[in-house]
This record gives sequence, structure tokens and C-alpha cells, in this order.
Amino acid sequence: MPRSPSITFWKIWANPIFRRYCQSRLRPRGLGFTLLITLILAAFLFFIFRFNAIYNINIDLIDAERAPIIPLLFLQGVILFLLGTGQVAGGMTAESDEGVLDYQRLAPMSPLAKVVGYLFGLPIREYVCFAATMPFTLWALWRGMVEWQIAAQLYLVFLSSAILYHLTGLVAGTVIKNKRWAFLASMGLVFLLYTVMPQVSNFGLAYFRHLTLYPVFEEYLAFILPRDQGALILAGRSLLGVTRFFDLNLSETFVTLFSQGILSATLVSMLCRRWRRAESHLLGKIWATVLFAWIQIALLGNALPLIRPGQIFPSNEFNRRFVAGGLRENWSPEPAEVIAMAGTVGFVSLAILWTFTAIITPNKFTQLNGWRRARKKGRSSLGVASDPATALPWVAFMTACGAAGWILFTRAIVESRWFPGTEISPITTIAFILVFFTGGIGFQTLLESKGARTTVLVAILLGVVPLLLGSVLATISAKLTALATPAIWIIALSPVAAPSYAAITTLDIVNLPLVIARALPNAFWFSQGIAALITLYLLTHLRHSRRTIKNEA
Amino acid sequence: MTSDPAIKVRDLRVDYGNFVAVDDISFTVPKGEVLGLVGPNGAGKTSTFRVLATLMEPTYGEIRVAGIDISEEVQAARRILGYMPDLAPVPSDLKAREFLNFHAQSHSLGSRAQCLERADECLATVNLEDKHNAWCRALSRGETQRLVLAKTMLHHPQVLILDEPASGLDPFSRRELRLALQNLARQGATVIVSSHILTELTEMCSSICIMNQGRLLASGSAEEVRRKLGRSEHQLTITVLQNASEAADWLRLKTGVHDVSHTDNKITCGFTGNDEEQTALLAALVTAGYSVKTFEEQATSFEDILVEVAEGNRN
Repeated sequence: MPRSPSITFWKIWANPIFRRYCQSRLRPRGLGFTLLITLILAAFLFFIFRFNAIYNINIDLIDAERAPIIPLLFLQGVILFLLGTGQVAGGMTAESDEGVLDYQRLAPMSPLAKVVGYLFGLPIREYVCFAATMPFTLWALWRGMVEWQIAAQLYLVFLSSAILYHLTGLVAGTVIKNKRWAFLASMGLVFLLYTVMPQVSNFGLAYFRHLTLYPVFEEYLAFILPRDQGALILAGRSLLGVTRFFDLNLSETFVTLFSQGILSATLVSMLCRRWRRAESHLLGKIWATVLFAWIQIALLGNALPLIRPGQIFPSNEFNRRFVAGGLRENWSPEPAEVIAMAGTVGFVSLAILWTFTAIITPNKFTQLNGWRRARKKGRSSLGVASDPATALPWVAFMTACGAAGWILFTRAIVESRWFPGTEISPITTIAFILVFFTGGIGFQTLLESKGARTTVLVAILLGVVPLLLGSVLATISAKLTALATPAIWIIALSPVAAPSYAAITTLDIVNLPLVIARALPNAFWFSQGIAALITLYLLTHLRHSRRTIKNEA
Repeated sequence: MTSDPAIKVRDLRVDYGNFVAVDDISFTVPKGEVLGLVGPNGAGKTSTFRVLATLMEPTYGEIRVAGIDISEEVQAARRILGYMPDLAPVPSDLKAREFLNFHAQSHSLGSRAQCLERADECLATVNLEDKHNAWCRALSRGETQRLVLAKTMLHHPQVLILDEPASGLDPFSRRELRLALQNLARQGATVIVSSHILTELTEMCSSICIMNQGRLLASGSAEEVRRKLGRSEHQLTITVLQNASEAADWLRLKTGVHDVSHTDNKITCGFTGNDEEQTALLAALVTAGYSVKTFEEQATSFEDILVEVAEGNRN
């Protein structure tokens, strides 16, 4: 039987998986209905905004032509970002649910070609619907005399974002077994990125905005709006088209594409690993560690340049937008704001560390199999970066990176020109290191030595319950002040709250009631002291359990 | 390369947590052989198949298919392997011919026209030409099995791994499947097949492997396996030309013989002993002057063997 050359990943049109979905998802009956709805919606948005601008607002025709651009962009976002991502996640789960995914595993195609096939094949109907809205957008861009470079950059980032979200959907579809949950989880993730993340990014996490369309959209908003509105936006800007990364001035589009590219490459790596071996960890230890270190660098690189001009502070943004001219000049950041930012950055870093730790930590059976395999091959140790090897050294490195990043961020704010004379004390530095040590190493050793089930139980009982209980007591303490102190002590038990408590060790810059000011550090140091002892115990226990597994193998 | 066996498995082990699904098994399958893998549920057949099909990584073990180490050269191995899973799933959004065409393209079987041509050939092989435009989800269980078998044969695999291919097939289709597999074997393909329909398996297979609790109990031709695993207690049927009653009395006195009865010239009895002792009994009977016309051992059936193995697990 003659065979064609192997399928290369970049030849999308020749990719059998892509073509298979073109065949099944573009059947006239299914496509026709979706296309009809899309065209009706796109036409409605186009004409209603255009004619409203022409006949009711009475603006210049060129400006009126620009009016439908943003509503159409929103529709395109719903089609590609929300529906496309949901379709990718649900479609992938359905393949595995039906049992036909094994056939694809057996196909002699490279893992990358398979990923590309699913990535562009599963949402093909959404791409066609997106294309169907483009004539309206192109008309608006052309007649609205929007520069083509601006439109090109906007759509480049739009498509890059769509690919990133679809990859997220593919990973969700690979990991989550239930089709409906995969569909909802991936769409929920996109929804969170566009609703919650912009708020979180105001607390010193500017980097995460680059995972969305927002930075580039806001950058070019002035050029796609009617010109007088655009001029207003431009007047309020200082640096145009530029984002600062440490001391570098980089284009907003470049930073967004670069940030999304790194995350997309990570997701592709996860999928390729799973295609190569269904049992493998989603991320390799080296990739996870380098990525975590990069995230810390990216967070700092994006945040630090915003401190001096004050753009990093949420109150500044509020002040710029809503406060009248004279009062605006007197703005300065509040200490409580700094504590909230330091706490948020610490918590997000810790949450990323927990996620990566959960991905790269081997369970007992992975370790057992690894040892058996190694023994059979006459080896006396496991490969340091292999899936069955302990994740402790890698997590220790990530913990150090996370603590360093957090300390540098907080120091840069606290010792900035906005708080003259204040310094980060050695006590605060120790507190930050301790939070990452107990949170990072404690979690890893617990997970590796006691298993996922125990860890989840501990996370609920120690991570969530004290928070909830403490919150209830804190609410009552508004009337019954005696409960404030127990509430503080109970909440301090939760590792989730530890970054916020550690941030409060810079207490000399906040004014709190004496009882609370006294209870907060005491509760923090006590709970962290206990957590440190438990972590040390878990470290010794991990050694013991690893030895037991080795002997059992 | 040409002298390599079709499949060589050495020290294969598969663990699921603390459960050992396949426990250090080794076997070799020569080219052109149809090997039946038999065992009760949980014996480790499907795990062995999934490892052979490159769908699962074993805990350890070396597997070579036509000389190719499947852990080292996965893509090369997949070009020569065909795997049909148990319950043979099919996608709900494709038609029969589209399903085959898609997999023909995935195996790079040539241009679009060549892929379609091959899809039609395979549909014809499994007698599904008239269903080429039917939705996969609308096919009956037996038709689905045949469609997946067609998919498995698409790329002319040198080694076919079929997990319960006959389940859901009617007797006619089963016969056709048997003939198709024997035909493939004649053309040089090697087939490993598991089935619960044991009588068919023994007719279809040139050799049999019996697995139980992850271990390989016996392998070889059907007769060899039966001899190895069959009961030490046999049922003998002896026909003598005359004096059946006397011969029956003579037999009652012999060691290992029990439950003797006779009707006309036919004597039936139980016998506990190995092949040599059984031969010695026949020789002694003839030497004693009885005219023995036939001396038959009622072979232990595979069903009996499997039932015993399964009962052993339960106990």
C-alpha cells in the first residue's frame, strides 16, 4: 500500500483531524442554522449602531461608520472566546467519553499534529461564524478609515487570545472527564479572565492583563471609536502603545503576544505529553519550575515600573477616573492599599505554586512503578526530572523564587517615594519566607507523603473551614467586639490567609484598633510556628515514606 | 529483520496501584500465527492488549513487534499494528465511510481518492457496502463491530490485536470473521485475539495462551494447553470386540481406575494418572487378551479448564 509522507503539524489543511471536524461540524444542516443566527445578530448590531450614529447622534459619516466596531468585536469575542472554547473542551471530552480517542492515539501522527488538528478542527464552526461577521467589521473599519496596522494588531491579538483559550479548553477537555463540566469550566475560565482578572490585576498583578485582549484593546480603543471620543481618551494618556518591562519600553502588542505565546507553548507541551503518554504528568518538572520563575520575573517586570508613577495603586486609577481635577493632585496611596496588594500578590504566587506542585508531585503508585522500572533496568535511582522522582527540590526552588519575588515586590512599594522613610524590616522578610516555606514545602511534603485524598481533606479543614468560621465570628464581632480576637486567631490557621497576615507585619504603616493590632501578629507568628513544625515533621516523614516505597518496589 | 518473530514479549508487568494486572509474562508469536488469549475476567488480557497496542506504558517489560521495540519507536510500531478494542466504539457524528476515510488519512494511505477506495474495499470485506452512508451511531452492535474491524484492517497491519471481536456478532458474522482472520493469517498477518466464545477460538487459533490473575498459565497449541491444564482425572471410553463384562471386572482391579460401567461392548470408566500410566493401562489390557477396538480419552474442554481456573480464583 503506498503511503504519503507523514503529516506535518503546520499543514493544517492536510491534517486528517482538522478535515474530519470540517466534515462533521460544517454539515449544511448544523452550520446553516448557526450561521443564520450569527448573520442576523451581526447585521442587527451593524445596522442599529451605524444608523443610530447617523440619524440620531448626527455625527460625521466616518465616525458613524466606526460605531458598530466595538459591538461586533464583542459578538466575535462571544463566538470565538466563549462558544469556541466551550466547544473545544466539550468536544475533547466527548471523544474520550465515546472511547474513540484511543483510535487517535494509535494514528501514526506526531503529538503536535494531533494537538493542532483538534485545536483548529473542533471550533471550526465558530471560526466560520467569526468569518461570517468579518464583512461587517471590514466595512466598518474601511469606511471608518481605521488604519489597517491598528486593525491588524487588534485582530492578531484577538486570534492569539482565541488560540490561548482554545488550548485551555483542550487541556480542560483532556483532564476533566465529564463533557458538561469541561464545557462549563473552560467557559468559566474565560469569563473569569475578563471579569475577575482585571480587578485582581489592579492589585499589583498587571502581568495577568496580558492574557486578555484588554491591554491592546484599550491601547487602540481611541482609534476605533468615533474620533472625538478617541481624542478624549488620547488626551488622558502619557505613553502611547508602550508597556514598561523593568527598564525596557516594549510595544503593548508584543508583550501581549509574548505572554500569551509562553502560556500557549506551555499548554501545547501539556497536551503533547498527554498524547505521548496518557499517564504522564501534565507538566514536566523542569518546565514547571522555569515557568514559575518566569511568572515571578514577569510579575515584577510589569509591576515595578508602575510604582514610581503611582499607576500600580488601585486608588490612583479610581482617582484618575472619578475625582475632579483639583482634588486629583493631592492623591497619595493608602497604607491599607499596600497591604492588600502585598497580600494579593503573595496569595496569587502561592496559589500558582500550589497548582504547579499538584501537577509535578508524583503519587505513591507513580513512584512505585518508577522504582520497579528503574530496578528492572539495573538503576539504583530515579531520574531527577522524571515523573516518579520526588518534586521536593523543584518545589523548594519555586518556593525560593516565589518568596523572593514577593519580598522584592513589597519592598519596592513600601520603600518607594510614596512612603518616605519606611523600610521592610527583617521580621517582615522572615515572615514572607516563612509563609512560602510552610505553604509551599508543607503542601508538597503533605501531598507526596500522605497522598491527594488526605491533602484535600486538610485543605478543606485547615484551608477553608477556619476562613469561613473566622468570617462568621468577625461579622458578629461588629456588635460583640470580644469575638474579634478569636476570629483573627481562627482565620490565622488557614494557609490561604497567611500572605495577608504576613503583609500586615508592616503594621507601622497602618492604623488599626489596639486589640486587633496586637492579635494579628501574635496569631500569625503562632500559626506559622505550628505550621513550620508540622512542615519539618512532614519533611522527615517524606524521607521515611520514600524509603518505604523504594523498599516496597 | 525477516527472522524476527511477529511479537516478542519479555517480562511484561502492568500495575494499577497495588494491583498487579500483568505479572512478568513472556511469550513469542511467530509470523502468520493466530494466537488466542484466553482467561477469566480480570486475567490481564485487555491490559496486555493495550500495552501491545502502544496505548499504555507497562511498569516494565520489553515488547518487540516485527523486531521494532514499541517503547522506542512508537510511530513505526503503530504503522504495522491494528488494534480493535473491546466494545468497539465509533464516533456519533460521522458516517461509516467517513469514519474509515478519516482513519485512512490518519495512516497516510495516499491521496483522498486512494483513501476512499481503501475505505470501500474494507467495507466490502466486512459486508457493509450497503451501509457506507449510514451514521455510525445508527449501526447495530454487530455492524459496529464489523465497521471497527474494517477500520483495524485499513492500513494492512502486520499484527492485528483484537479484543473480543466476536462479541455481538450473529453466528453467520462470526463465521465470516473467523474466515477473514484465517485468510489474513494466510497472507502473513499475525493475529492476537481474545474471545469468550471458546469453541470458536480453538477452531480459529493456531495457538492459545491461558492467562489468569496476570500470569500466563500455559501456551502452545490447543492440544498442548489442554494436556497441560486439563484434569489429571480422565474419562475413558473403551470398545472391545467381546467379553466386555470380563474386561470391566479386569479394569476394576487396576490402580487409578474407578467408576467402571459397561453397555454391550462399550466400557466407560474414570482414570487418574498421567499419559504414561494411561498408555501402560492400554498395553496391559491388550496383553491380558482383550480385543480392544477403540480406546478414547474424553478431552477436557476449554470451557472446563476456564471454569476450573475461575473457580480456583473464587476459592
